[in-house]
Amino acid sequence: MDFLYARSWDEALAAKAERPDAVPISGGTDLMVDLNFDRRRPDALLDLNGVEEFTRWERVNGHVRIGAAVPFTRIINEIGSLVPGLAIASRTVGSPQIRNRGTLGGNLATASPAGDALPPLMVADATVEVGSVRGERTVPVREFFTGPKRSVLEPDELIRAVLVPVADGPQQFAKVGTRNAMVISVCSFALALHPARRTVAGCIGSAGPTVLPTPDAEQYLEAELADRRLWDSRAELDEAVATRFGELAGAHARPIDDVRGTADYRRHAVAVLARRTLQWTWTEYRRAQR
Amino acid sequence: MTATTAIGAGLNRIEAAAKVTGAARYAGEIPLDGHAYGSVVQSTIARGQVTMIDADAVLARPGVLAVLTHDNAPRLHRADDTDAELLVLQDDRVRYRGQAVALVIAETLEQARAGAELLDVTYQPEDHDVVFAADHPRLYAPEHVNPNYPTDTSVGDVDAALASAAIVVDATYSTPAEHNNPMEPHAAIAQWDGDRLTVYDSNQGATSVRQALTTLFGLADGAVRVLSEHVGGGFGAKGSTRPHAVLAAMGARFTERPIRVTLTRQQMFAMVGYRTPTIQHMRLGADADATLVALEHTAYSQTSQVLEFAEQTALISRLMYAAPNLRTRHRVVALDVPTPRWMRAPGEAPGSFALESAMDELATACGVDPIELRVRNEPSVEPDSGLPFSSRNLIACLHEGAERFGWASRDPRPGVRRDGRWLIGTGVASSTYPARSAPSTAAATALADGSFVVEITASDIGTGARTALTQIAADELRAPTERVEVRIGDSDFGQAMIAGGSMGTASWSWAIAKACRELLHTLHEIGTVPPEGVTAHADTAEDIKAQAQLSRHAFGAQFAEVRVDVDTGEVRVPRLCGVFAAGRIINAKTGRSQLIGGMTMGIGMALLEEGVMDPQFGDYVNHDLASYHVPVNGDVHDIDVSWIDEHDDRLNPVGVKGIGEIGIVGTAAALANAVWHATGHRHRHLPIRPDRVLTSLA
Amino acid sequence: MTGRPTSSHITLRVNGAARQLDVDNRTTLLDALREHLGLAGAKKGCDHGQCGACTVLLDGRRANACLLFAVAVQHVAITTIEGLADNGTLHPMQHAFVEFDGFQCGYCTPGQICSSVAMLDEVAAGWPSAVTGDVAATEIVLDAAEIRERMSGNICRCGAYLNIVAAIQEVAP
Repeated sequence: MDFLYARSWDEALAAKAERPDAVPISGGTDLMVDLNFDRRRPDALLDLNGVEEFTRWERVNGHVRIGAAVPFTRIINEIGSLVPGLAIASRTVGSPQIRNRGTLGGNLATASPAGDALPPLMVADATVEVGSVRGERTVPVREFFTGPKRSVLEPDELIRAVLVPVADGPQQFAKVGTRNAMVISVCSFALALHPARRTVAGCIGSAGPTVLPTPDAEQYLEAELADRRLWDSRAELDEAVATRFGELAGAHARPIDDVRGTADYRRHAVAVLARRTLQWTWTEYRRAQR
Repeated sequence: MTATTAIGAGLNRIEAAAKVTGAARYAGEIPLDGHAYGSVVQSTIARGQVTMIDADAVLARPGVLAVLTHDNAPRLHRADDTDAELLVLQDDRVRYRGQAVALVIAETLEQARAGAELLDVTYQPEDHDVVFAADHPRLYAPEHVNPNYPTDTSVGDVDAALASAAIVVDATYSTPAEHNNPMEPHAAIAQWDGDRLTVYDSNQGATSVRQALTTLFGLADGAVRVLSEHVGGGFGAKGSTRPHAVLAAMGARFTERPIRVTLTRQQMFAMVGYRTPTIQHMRLGADADATLVALEHTAYSQTSQVLEFAEQTALISRLMYAAPNLRTRHRVVALDVPTPRWMRAPGEAPGSFALESAMDELATACGVDPIELRVRNEPSVEPDSGLPFSSRNLIACLHEGAERFGWASRDPRPGVRRDGRWLIGTGVASSTYPARSAPSTAAATALADGSFVVEITASDIGTGARTALTQIAADELRAPTERVEVRIGDSDFGQAMIAGGSMGTASWSWAIAKACRELLHTLHEIGTVPPEGVTAHADTAEDIKAQAQLSRHAFGAQFAEVRVDVDTGEVRVPRLCGVFAAGRIINAKTGRSQLIGGMTMGIGMALLEEGVMDPQFGDYVNHDLASYHVPVNGDVHDIDVSWIDEHDDRLNPVGVKGIGEIGIVGTAAALANAVWHATGHRHRHLPIRPDRVLTSLA
Repeated sequence: MTGRPTSSHITLRVNGAARQLDVDNRTTLLDALREHLGLAGAKKGCDHGQCGACTVLLDGRRANACLLFAVAVQHVAITTIEGLADNGTLHPMQHAFVEFDGFQCGYCTPGQICSSVAMLDEVAAGWPSAVTGDVAATEIVLDAAEIRERMSGNICRCGAYLNIVAAIQEVAP
């Protein structure tokens, strides 16, 4: 197995162009499992740890631009208040050891529906900067995934950074698992309120082939909030509305039975998490006024 | 009994400094000059035949030294009692998925693993049968159940008594396959010197491994030495020789180099045993005043096509409660699965889940408190055999636990305590485990400088055996513990019981006490210690044979509080309380730790642990620690452990009952009973997963 | 960009010393420590970052050595359990694990201790955990719940968690 090192974005792209079979590695928390379990036997690895810009984040035009190799720990500690949904989810990724190494770039590239950071990126309308020697492009996270462990990334492309809009309203993330910690989600849910646009966004994790948006639930809630003038009044949200929102969100789940739970349970749990995250975010929205 | 000074104190572990600094060396970490690495190749079918292994491509890879298969592996010898799982690479049959079919040996770990992964094995698969069921057509009654108990027992007329009982509980419980998962994966490094074999191995008893290897390789007595100074947990998975040790010795013989074989975590799920799944049918009958009139416990379990392993699941019902009509039965089915083995409290752990859940159901049906039900049915002699108990303090444990836990204020109604989204409940269950001793040998030496050395082939798998035995020897020798060195984990010290069946300390302490007493006697006679020292040997075989027939058991009571999320079905355990009557506790610190450890594993058994069999591939699909969940730190909150001061002089010279397993006995039932109390729904199938809880609440 | 053959001559900075070694590019940091440098303190329990027995410190931060390639960590200071004691004097955390019986078989112990030492630094730096009420909180109250959550990346099958929490509480400021 060849081990290729890159020290800059251009070097990395050149290496990837020359060796499209080289698997990029940064934190290694996903890839190394596959290697140690002999699920993958790449002929070459491309070590991105030497590319300093991957480990930087910066504020750009109302966004936080997070380098592909910024570990979850730093997202939590350094930009938690700017991207709260992502930070909350990041706190539940694997173990502290994993969070010190694991990265957004890895979560995106692995494209697992159980990647905890992905639902919050979806609801925040994040975009992914990818590039190759052929050029660069940005892809909305909503369009990034094409199936389980599949994405729009071309063989010669690398993820450079993720652009996450600074939160314009409350964001939440919740997951269910059998254990109290070190949980691989049975299912998860992220929710963002966008008060300025008067829209909401929800996203399901671990209950389908990819992370799944919840348009029916969003449309229902947006209509209710508008009809009841709740964005302005910031009045309490009816329990029934939260419950209905949860049900509609749950209907978007496309779960399977597996060792962590039945499909029926997952659908139900998504509904519960959607309801809860709505209640939490709405309480926060109401509180923000005072 | 021994006068005690060191015994009972909370001495720190003797090997503590080595373990906290990383200096302690486990079997897979012993460096031998010029060693190479063996990597196991496992079958990918559950039943059939290996038709071809194309080793050439792998042998051509850099660093690869050999590929051992059934075609070229050294032939093994077998005796009547040879464990058939150890006859690795002897024929082309595949008897379960995950069976060793080859060993790739290479200069480096990476080369060996890559070679094993690339080895091309062709199979002729046959239809397999891996699905365990209580109505399986091939169920049969084994000749006996582990280790040598009658398969079926019957006292009185259970059917008649049930027919006329005022109250009947008739329910079926089940427990899944559970995997021991000690933290240290099984490892061995083997080295030959002519016809002498030395193996550093991860096991619970070095003499049993020595015995097995001596037979398998057709060697002379004394030709094999097995060393296991530090062992990273076992819980039964290292209770006897496992295939990795045989493969290491074969590889070393074949390559004429020291060979290390370390299993991966994933390989362990098939290669080192697991707790059989069980299905248990309970029938309890009681009078209107909650006096048991009948108890029937029928247990089903699985074994493999390789050898019969018959879990003693219903044993617990033979001694716990005073049912005048009492019947127990065991049925087993041999499937195309890996051989199940011992896992912490084999028999009692799954058996207690059924019995103690059924007792809770009976208490509800009778309208009496679950503790009161047990008090009313406390037997004066062992119900099944009529034997007297050497000591039995179950009721004292229940009462002491009730006091510590705050049971008296409990509202018996289920499903009525709620704190926000959480339903709250409490439950109780009894614990028990046999208190047996087995023959062992030991040597005690007085040195001229006034210090002592005690040698015994004990194994410290985390139990604190080295420390407890030092305390015992010190008291026997009337010396401070600092002057006594206890050496363990070397088969050259002679035959001794394994660290298993909660019999380790009871058995070893007997031999040590006997050797120490003999030594003191000699010292008394000779006056001064000669420069070369003086040694006394002891063997307890005759003493144990001469033991009176008695029912010897440890008892305990466990209390649990649970919180159940009404929306998601998640169960949390804010507190557990365990009170035990287990004879003399040698070390207050490590003893408490061991009991807490058992109860912690009980949380896993109740809520998390479940090997899921894939019928299509014939494999436990969740064979890693990401998908087979064991408790993590966040799952364990408050566990209050204490014990009754129990003196039983009909056990062994030190009065030890053993505490390695009783901690896990009853925990799952106490938790299940608490979930019932919280929600009003009875969970008869483990683990109590969120989806199962939620389905019941819906 | 530099292409390398399938093995590499590397320098690792371990416990304050520069150690040179030749490794297969596939060699994990864990195997490099255990098989090449004679530092068997970091344990191999699962090979996939789930058990934490291999926890070591990279520039003071805890990481799973089984999920790192040796060739990729030449730029960081690596601390293993063997580097925690100071000239034979146990680190306070090691001492507390002994006194509070924070282990049984000892196999997970080096990882637990490395993890807990780093964890206290994380708390001192104000890093929130999943049970910290406010993500933006700067002062962490290190109660038992916080310790349990923060130590959940280190499995102890013997079930010494209660004693591990007690040992950490003893050392925590």
